[in-house]
Amino acid sequence: MAENVPVLIGLVLVAVAGTGAVLVRDPVRQSFVLSLLGLALAALFLLLQAPDVALSQLAVGSALTPLMVLLSVRKVRRKARSERREEHE
Amino acid sequence: MSMRLRLWVLAAGVLGTATLFVLACAELPGFGGTWHPYGDRAVHAALARHTANTIASVNFDQRALDTLGEESILFGSVLGTLVLLRQTRDERRLPPEPARVAPPVRRYALIALPVTLLIGLYVVAHGQLSPGGGFQGGVVVATSLHLLYIAIDYRALERIRPVGLYEVADAAGEAGYLLIGAAALLTGAAFLTNFLPYGTFNTLSSGGTVPLLNAAIGVEVAAGIVVLLARFLDQAVEIVSGRDEAEDET
Amino acid sequence: MNGWTAAGTALLLCGVAPAACATATGPVSRRVPAQNLTTTLLSLVFLLLAQGFGRTAYVDTALVLSVLGPAGTLLYVRLLADRLAARPPRPRSLLATTALNYVAVPAVVVPLCFATGPGRALVKLLVIGGLLVLGSRTASRAVTAAVTAGHGLAGSAEGMSDG
Repeated sequence: MAENVPVLIGLVLVAVAGTGAVLVRDPVRQSFVLSLLGLALAALFLLLQAPDVALSQLAVGSALTPLMVLLSVRKVRRKARSERREEHE
Repeated sequence: MSMRLRLWVLAAGVLGTATLFVLACAELPGFGGTWHPYGDRAVHAALARHTANTIASVNFDQRALDTLGEESILFGSVLGTLVLLRQTRDERRLPPEPARVAPPVRRYALIALPVTLLIGLYVVAHGQLSPGGGFQGGVVVATSLHLLYIAIDYRALERIRPVGLYEVADAAGEAGYLLIGAAALLTGAAFLTNFLPYGTFNTLSSGGTVPLLNAAIGVEVAAGIVVLLARFLDQAVEIVSGRDEAEDET
Repeated sequence: MNGWTAAGTALLLCGVAPAACATATGPVSRRVPAQNLTTTLLSLVFLLLAQGFGRTAYVDTALVLSVLGPAGTLLYVRLLADRLAARPPRPRSLLATTALNYVAVPAVVVPLCFATGPGRALVKLLVIGGLLVLGSRTASRAVTAAVTAGHGLAGSAEGMSDG
């Protein structure tokens, strides 16, 4: 049983982070939870001794995903701002 | 289709999947057991071909065709995003404004960029020996270049990023994989057969075609992500739709 | 399970999990330093697990995270500068987070160095430790700089981060 405790902790972390990523609605906050989900998955993969997958997850999840989410948010906000201004005119 | 009918279709699908899933799970060997029929054979085949990292041997040698599919998915999705995020006729570009950067952050970026780049190349080059490979290393390489945007500004990134060249590199990586696979045909073997000499076990040149395929994937992934992020950055920083006035930027 | 794996699991549960909670909740000014702390601690967990499993190759995951973690933090600072400036973190809590980073890195890396002994693996460990310390130092500097720049531009903070 004691052998499986680390894997169980990893699984719980992934489940909590995954549920959080679904429940959070604001994309900016979601980007934080998404990167956490990536880190939790990487930890789980390493605990299961699958370092190749852990590396893939780290590479994609720690910087690339948040960057794409936040850039999209910035684009949408800019568009919304200019449309609001148009309505005022 | 009415709502009710749709729900019935959904229910049928869910039930079918659930039944198959439960049946499949019942036949699974227990977690963490000692009986690994596939694993043992894969390790044996990897060692026979002098590839220290069995995962790399499975990905780029024993099941190289699957990896070709995965690589093509990435290539196709980058291509699709490029089309979606292109500059349309009613959009125009504004030059990005220089950002004020704190000196320690700029210094860190200038140190971290070569270090991250080196780590990325190391991960690609050692794919056949230790965890990692073309995909993981390629992403790290692409991220290292974007430190220039993250820690300095977009103009600094644009200076070292001729997008056209990266588009060519993306296609060249994809083509390289196919050509290495086709080269096996010339020797009379099947497509993507590991036809090169296997080399000395646990050295950089071991594994036959594995390091070459890894390098092709590395080039494709790194260039693909740079091109993908270039479109995202253009849209987020430079491109405004024609109706937006310049005052948007003040 | 040996001592190293147990230590790694303990750090995952008592270090990474609380830091992750702080990253997932609260204002951006708390999330950004907490995100940096999470990645630093997770790198250390990876180092401990690599030692515990007796696989030196697993150290590569920590190496990759030690450069990508700070890159992630700087990215948040860069793209959320307006929010950071609107509600800056308390200097004391920022200092405490950085101090925690500085304490945790040698606390894990030094014992690992003794366990590894001289050689290439030792150099790799020291490089990872150095990168982690340098990264957390830069992250806290970047947060402070974003806050000061935001105050200098009071009023037009919304447009300033569009560069």
